[in-house]
Amino acid sequence: MRRDVLRPASAAEARDALAGAAASGRSVLIRGGGTKLDWGGAVEADVELDTRALDRLVAHNAADMTAVAGAGMPLARLQEQLGEAGQWLALDPPGTDEGATLGGILAAGDAGPRRMRYGSVRDLVIGSTFALADGTVGHSGGLVIKNVAGYDVTKLLCGSLGTLGLVTQVAVRLHPLPGASRTLRITTDARDAARLAAGLAVSPAEPSAVEWAGDPGGTGTMLVRVEGVREGVGARTSAVQDLARGHGLDARPLGGEEEAAAWREHAGAVGGDDGETVARAGFLPDRLPEVAGALARAAAEARTGATLTAGACLGLATCRISGRDAAAHAATLTGWRRAVEGLGGTVALRRRLAGVDQLADPWGTPPSAAALMRALKRRFDPDDRLAPGRFGSWLGGAEQAGQARVARRAGRVDR
Amino acid sequence: MELSKTLTHKGTKSSIVDNYKDDSGVGCPLGPAAYPSRSENARLRDSGCRSQRAVAGRTAAVYPGHTGIAAGVGARRTGAPRGRGVGPVGRAGGTAMLTDAFRRELRSALGPGAVLDDPAQLATYECDGLTGYRVTPALVVLPASTGQVATVVRACARERVPFVARGAGTGLSGGALPHADGVLIVTSRMRRILEIDLANRRMTLEPGVTNLDVSKAVAGDGMYYAPDPSSQVVCTIGGNVAENSGGAHCLKYGFTTNHVLALEVVLPDGEVVTLGGDAPDPTGYDLRGFFIGSEGTLGIATRITVRLLARPEAVRTLVADFPSPHHAGDAVSAIVAAGIVPAAIEMMDNLAIQACERATGAGYSLDAGAALVVEVDGPEADCGPAFEQVRRLCRETGATRLRDAGGDGERARIWKGRRAAFAAMGRISRDYFVQDGVIPRTRLGEVLERIGRMGEDAGLRVANVFHAGDGNLHPLVLYDERVEGEAERAERLSTMIVELCVEQGGSITGEHGVGRDKQCSMPKMFDADDLAVMDRARAAWDPQGICNPGKLLPTPRLCGELRGRYRPHPLEAAGVIGRG
Repeated sequence: MRRDVLRPASAAEARDALAGAAASGRSVLIRGGGTKLDWGGAVEADVELDTRALDRLVAHNAADMTAVAGAGMPLARLQEQLGEAGQWLALDPPGTDEGATLGGILAAGDAGPRRMRYGSVRDLVIGSTFALADGTVGHSGGLVIKNVAGYDVTKLLCGSLGTLGLVTQVAVRLHPLPGASRTLRITTDARDAARLAAGLAVSPAEPSAVEWAGDPGGTGTMLVRVEGVREGVGARTSAVQDLARGHGLDARPLGGEEEAAAWREHAGAVGGDDGETVARAGFLPDRLPEVAGALARAAAEARTGATLTAGACLGLATCRISGRDAAAHAATLTGWRRAVEGLGGTVALRRRLAGVDQLADPWGTPPSAAALMRALKRRFDPDDRLAPGRFGSWLGGAEQAGQARVARRAGRVDR
Repeated sequence: MELSKTLTHKGTKSSIVDNYKDDSGVGCPLGPAAYPSRSENARLRDSGCRSQRAVAGRTAAVYPGHTGIAAGVGARRTGAPRGRGVGPVGRAGGTAMLTDAFRRELRSALGPGAVLDDPAQLATYECDGLTGYRVTPALVVLPASTGQVATVVRACARERVPFVARGAGTGLSGGALPHADGVLIVTSRMRRILEIDLANRRMTLEPGVTNLDVSKAVAGDGMYYAPDPSSQVVCTIGGNVAENSGGAHCLKYGFTTNHVLALEVVLPDGEVVTLGGDAPDPTGYDLRGFFIGSEGTLGIATRITVRLLARPEAVRTLVADFPSPHHAGDAVSAIVAAGIVPAAIEMMDNLAIQACERATGAGYSLDAGAALVVEVDGPEADCGPAFEQVRRLCRETGATRLRDAGGDGERARIWKGRRAAFAAMGRISRDYFVQDGVIPRTRLGEVLERIGRMGEDAGLRVANVFHAGDGNLHPLVLYDERVEGEAERAERLSTMIVELCVEQGGSITGEHGVGRDKQCSMPKMFDADDLAVMDRARAAWDPQGICNPGKLLPTPRLCGELRGRYRPHPLEAAGVIGRG
């Protein structure tokens, strides 16, 4: 389908774009760098609203450790500019090198390995300006880190994947760039990785990232990062090595370019390649071995390939399914999801081989709060014009959205 | 109606007191242990609002000015200047009186002891920590389980009866102020720790568990719960969730919202849902994040899963004396500029030092112009060098004395002094208003000077205690109600201070919340569209408008017509932030 593309360069233009779409009853897909456009259910929209012209660093209050930037600003460029003052936005999501924007990261609720120490985007955003489907412009939060005035509407936009509104500007709290960083590489399987991770999570070494990536039924690579005061990094590296040794594992320290390369490779492992299906699981951190085992079994049964990347202390893991066809991918996904949901977790589809959508739900079993999501959606976007279909059955499927649009165009729905 | 002058913020009249414990588990809620300036405070403490009301109502000489001025929706705003009643006197429209059948239904569902409607019992619940506002609820219920909360809320929803949730009643913005025609749902019987999962570093609690008891339960395992509001001895986790409570250590560790993983919530229609989940980033909208800090207006949390942290390997604390708050502010800037994120940086000016020292004997220097309490924690290898750097920066910015806490006992003493700050004001002033505003930290020096000048102009003393690291000010405006006109001047000054915070790019509240106290100040920060969006979100959760109604957002009844009152935020005017 050919979509009209709008590229607002100011909040006013963004508001007008949405108001215009509202007036003509057209549906809108909001996009930034496009690194996460496949997350969730497939969207069919009349208009594409590209935020990348909203790319200004509006303010960097270095002494207050806050910044305000346009939603379309690529995170990598923001980090470069903040870095000149020895600061950063403490987020390292996988799409950073591919042009992921601040607004897109917020809308996706994304984070990277260092989520373990700094939290996710929801923990670092202190305010936002947004435009709703009808063109209403609002803001919530502010420019101070500590602030409980009013409802935190920005939180609703975190993870909303463009279904509630368009974020035009984001205010964030910043952190000082650590004086030094060291990463340890450990070769091990998911079970031992989980054991070591449990120790690391409460270790005085206070690692800021503990990740594992590899064959869910076999071996993989664990990366453990410590960062902070230059004088302290050596001792903390030794503490991680000692802990690993206690588990019979060898931890090899990496620094400089070797360290950067290891993390680049790790980030690359999460995204997936064309022809692959990628899904994200959330679960209790100590269930990682079962989650990995379940993926290995589901992949073996469906005879697909599968790799897993996990925040080993967090209870988050991303799988990549490869080989064979959509039916096989769907079978691996469904089998894995059944097991993870059985453990109390969730599995959401992020990208897929064409055809997987027809065979597997993108989101899985709706949570008890799905009705609340629908109620919010009705208040913010009553005509379901923003990213219709994104949350699939949770918000009412694309089919229902399509019907609503047809009805609207036919003038049968009172707006 | 002139909105900004007469209807905006009311400072909190006095405050909560440490070491108060609601032993009974039911009834006798935390009376806000108000009026600490009076010698009978200790006696009053244990009898809650009721005794204070009796004192206030019957013996005007003890607490003058409490003639019960109506402030909309049936609230008697006591302790306020006379003759400035706001809006129509009366009840919220559209709600019916509770029927006998309704009372019987709740009694049969919860048991007779869990439903209170004796006027004397009801009166003990008429206020929270914002004691200037009092409303006697129509009914108080003490549910013991999620099921009982849901039963009560379903009945309320069916009959369109307003309800308000209450934990320990320590809130300072009137969030737990009852509704005159409604049900007050008190969580004091829901105080079980349901699960401690050390392997996954989390704990699941009922809402009535006190903040400090969370950390105590896992202290032996080297773990703790990070948010530590000053009222942590008595305040409940449920209340912390409602207010998104912070504490001295939130500079480094964040607020309640950063430490709650999952919530079981009874929604305003009685449905029970889970917000958040096992994983840190639940799929879909961050409903958990939106609920935390919603001040009891979106539902009642009945089960809360919090994140536990390992105790840091090392903690170092110092008190640094400075000639003036300005010097202390320079030290804070220098520490932050050096890339250090201390666990806490607290500042007290000389008046606050005087009060705290007299109240607790924490060992502060009575002659210091200002004092900083700086705490650094983390791995020993990081903590040592960072602490030395903090010491050096304090000396370089003019510290006259550095006192290191040698051990845990000394550290506890230092913190006890700081935590007692609000209550300690009673040592140096008969009456006072507590304010809670936020400024960008870099404006600290300028704002303190202006607050000083404003105090001089008003002929009043202002003591300053604040979380300096994150710019959260708690100016305490001292006054004597017996002096004609002083209360009015104090209240006006307190309001001007919080307006100054907004003017400087800050916020009307950093941690105490909006509640009933500051809802009419919301238009200072948010325009009509912002507020309308918030109201849309609220309506999605509570379409009938029965869940803690008339709080948080401004209402025409209380605050007058809102549209057109908005003035752009200064940062917006300067083009720093935009809204189209």
